[in-house]
Amino acid sequence: MRWSRAWTVAVKDMRETFSTMQLVAPLVVVPIVVVVGYPTVFLLALRLTPGSVEGLQGFLGGFPDSAVPAFALATSAARAAYVAVVYLFAGFFLLVPVMVSTVVAANSFAGEKERRTLEGLLYTPVSDAELVVGKISAAFVPTIVFTWGCFAVYSAIVALLGVPVVGRVFFPTANWWALMLLLVPAVSLLVISIVVLVSAKARGFQEANAIGGSVILPVIGLVAAQASGLMVLSTGLVAGTALVFALADVALLYLIVSVFKRSRIVSFLP
Amino acid sequence: MTDKGLEGDGPAIDVRGLSKSFGPLTALDSVDLTIPRGAVFGLLGPNGAGKTTTVRILNGVLDPTSVTKIDVLGHDLRREAEAVRPQVGVQTDTNLYERLSARENLSAFGRLYGMDTPSSRSRADELLEMFGLTDRGAERVERFSKGMKQKLLIARALVAHPRLVYLDEPTAGLDPEASHELMTYITRVSREAHTTFFITSHRLDEMEGVCTAVAVLDDGRIRASGPPEQVAREAVPRVRVRVTPRVGSDMTAGDLTTLPGVKEILSLDGAFAVDLVREDAVPSFLRAVVALPFDLLGVAEEPPTLQEAYLALVGNHPARADGQVV
Repeated sequence: MRWSRAWTVAVKDMRETFSTMQLVAPLVVVPIVVVVGYPTVFLLALRLTPGSVEGLQGFLGGFPDSAVPAFALATSAARAAYVAVVYLFAGFFLLVPVMVSTVVAANSFAGEKERRTLEGLLYTPVSDAELVVGKISAAFVPTIVFTWGCFAVYSAIVALLGVPVVGRVFFPTANWWALMLLLVPAVSLLVISIVVLVSAKARGFQEANAIGGSVILPVIGLVAAQASGLMVLSTGLVAGTALVFALADVALLYLIVSVFKRSRIVSFLP
Repeated sequence: MTDKGLEGDGPAIDVRGLSKSFGPLTALDSVDLTIPRGAVFGLLGPNGAGKTTTVRILNGVLDPTSVTKIDVLGHDLRREAEAVRPQVGVQTDTNLYERLSARENLSAFGRLYGMDTPSSRSRADELLEMFGLTDRGAERVERFSKGMKQKLLIARALVAHPRLVYLDEPTAGLDPEASHELMTYITRVSREAHTTFFITSHRLDEMEGVCTAVAVLDDGRIRASGPPEQVAREAVPRVRVRVTPRVGSDMTAGDLTTLPGVKEILSLDGAFAVDLVREDAVPSFLRAVVALPFDLLGVAEEPPTLQEAYLALVGNHPARADGQVV
């Protein structure tokens, strides 16, 4: 494995992907709405119209108090802010890497096949493993950078709008560090691996994107479970889930590297 | 450590018994090819004959169904494809990275071939200049014309100074001047640097001019192979002499019909193409023609062309009905 060649493949793919607004615009707009828009509106509402908390009781009331520290139980608004910031919006942060990695990976594999550029790459001295690692990196690196960027922005919003409501600095919490450092990378790799496997047979970007994007369904389920109080994204749960996903990643990556052969890919080319 | 591929001995490509099937479809059937180093080899054939499949197999990106021997640049391709790829450049009917600049397209491929960044950039600039694209080097390829893209695809195949170059319809989309320059370049590099060129093309006049050897592939089988003139003579076994009288001469076909060895006469624009019965009839025919009471501008043998040979071997072969590229 020559890492420099894998990285060359990755850089080329990233340049291609991020040089078109067609692809970049939805990747930026949706997370901005979810990660910046929703929390901002929610926390501003709690600050400016304290009465709005009552309206949220039906929504957040079922959430177990045991998952909320004592300092955040002082007022209804503090409790609502803490639950939303620490647990409710956490699920949204899984939607971001799922979405970004699906689009970028589908563009990198199926998109290259569709644009009829892949065959030229297969004739170069890049090995099968270098090609796979390069293309996975081309999706993984921007996904992580973008998600962590969103996390930084979210942390700033919480510091500005959430801390005054709760009464003290409370974020990022341990479950969020586990989310960002363990679960987000593990989920991203899982999504990318699935898209890569699908891309080998997909006719083009749209098909790979649609099939790969179906991974988003369990994540939406997770968000819903959070909101209803059925599941609490504790540090242990996040780390445990990340471990399960990481094991799945290892199995899938092993499968991909062992089955990704030039001759197999070429047989799907026109 | 000695690299067998750099020693320069033995053929560039030596293939025996190459067959490839896609389900019930036989794309290649017991193909044998021997291409010497430094040769300019042309693989000719109708659409669907198996040219693309041959190129893919010879580059180790497609597995043959069966093969007895498949050596490329001295390496057994089945076991040593990794040793072959760095020495090979390929231009096929694929696309460039449209959202990257011309320079980025070339330098990225240079790095994939193991060049460091400064070397890959300098080689990219060298190739851009060679193909007259220096002024457009920083521009995205999506704005390029078809001919410019074709030039860039060929330049990309040459980025790592390959010892073996595959070119698929290299002059498609090029203007006559650029086509001529490319053919001159191929001839020069094959002679001076001993680079082997493997070209597939339908432009038989160009192939006849540049190729030192050709093979005609049809329905997955090699129908003929060898130097172009040899293939042409074997496929079109006729002896033709072109007689060109002085402009304004009143010579007619009837004046030639009774000469010894004449089989058939075609009246051309200001000349006559005379088919003789056998090659050994040529000397007596020439003596008789110059003895006629007409001023002549020229009498010369007109060997069969590669195009005639191709049509004789392949005929008006329709493309495969299913449209599948093999």
